[in-house]
Amino acid sequence: MEQEKMLKLLSAVALGDQQSFSELYSLTSARLYAVSIKLLKRRELAEEALQEAFVRIWHNASQYQQGQGTVITWMISIVRYRALDMLRYNKVRNEQALNEQEEDPTLEPELMTMSEQALLDKCMDELDAQQKQAIHLAYFNGLTHHEVVQHMDSPLGTIKSWIRRGLLSLQRCLTI
Amino acid sequence: MNYQQEQLRNALAAEYVLGTLSGPARKRFQQLMMESQSIREATWVWEQHLNGLGEKLEPVEPSPNVWKNIQYRLDMSPPRTTPVTHISRAAKRFWQSTALVATAAAFILAILIVRQDLPKDTFIPDTREVAIFVDTESAPLWLIDITQDNIEIQTTSNLEVKSNNDYQLWMVAKDGRPPISLGILPQKGKITLPKHVQFDQLDIAALAVSLEPLGGSPNGQPTTVLYTAELVST
Repeated sequence: MEQEKMLKLLSAVALGDQQSFSELYSLTSARLYAVSIKLLKRRELAEEALQEAFVRIWHNASQYQQGQGTVITWMISIVRYRALDMLRYNKVRNEQALNEQEEDPTLEPELMTMSEQALLDKCMDELDAQQKQAIHLAYFNGLTHHEVVQHMDSPLGTIKSWIRRGLLSLQRCLTI
Repeated sequence: MNYQQEQLRNALAAEYVLGTLSGPARKRFQQLMMESQSIREATWVWEQHLNGLGEKLEPVEPSPNVWKNIQYRLDMSPPRTTPVTHISRAAKRFWQSTALVATAAAFILAILIVRQDLPKDTFIPDTREVAIFVDTESAPLWLIDITQDNIEIQTTSNLEVKSNNDYQLWMVAKDGRPPISLGILPQKGKITLPKHVQFDQLDIAALAVSLEPLGGSPNGQPTTVLYTAELVST
């Protein structure tokens, strides 16, 4: 199982094993970069975020706990927070690129077990269309509430409520 | 903690992970996470939930430079690069290599020959400086000729052309101040850059080349120093 393999690598990384770090990079960098480039759009920024995330992963490997989810979700969190910080700092936004990719990513699940991924899909599908779109825009494209307002052409209060209620429904659905 | 507080904690954690909690609210939440285990745990739950979305994206291969830069930043591989802080050692190695001295001599000779070919009334300053950037195999990459007003740069065919990056030239003063940009280097052919106003005022320890995003350093300082070279008077 992928989680076990990654956990083994990450544990070795925590002890300073460079070979394992290199393997972990080969195994995960393209997946992490997908998250980073989708958020940041610009190659040089996305690569910088990825670079910094791996420097952080090297230093913080020993802090990973199983309660934090799988190794890959933990790593995605690290690159995503870094990319979000850069996004807010650089205010980079490529509206055109954004408009081209409004469709849901209908890509194959790779790492979560089928049942977890299927459950997430099912729960996302149960949301109202607007709730789902607002959450997708924030998650994949890193839009703020105000940017979602512009994008979906609805008032701020409505957007906030779509996101809040969408997240609540998602949690109810996922934890049942 | 009562139900309402738990709901609030949960809602904040969700929006923190989603990224819609921004500005001061985001900072406050990060502070709370440091202080409270239950807030950290609520956040982890959301990271698990939402980052399942990120896992669905089609993987995209980053450029090989990312791994090189990570290794370089973590001091993991024998760098093909020389950090600025090690300039004097690098410079020493540089001149200890006879191959390099030969290359330098050939370059200087070439300049002298070119000058002899110039019309008699051409103004030639008494001293000129040159520098040669070489790779780890001692193959020249850029030949730098400092004239009275300009920096003339000739690229060699040994240089690896990068379409997603720029190479940037810097001068490193002996007084330890941060490197000063002299401009973006060409990846092919020859260009002339105007000489920086401080070029003749400072005591220059070395020139350096860094690898940068397209358009040059985003913060005014070298991102990844690849090569250094000393200036030599002709």
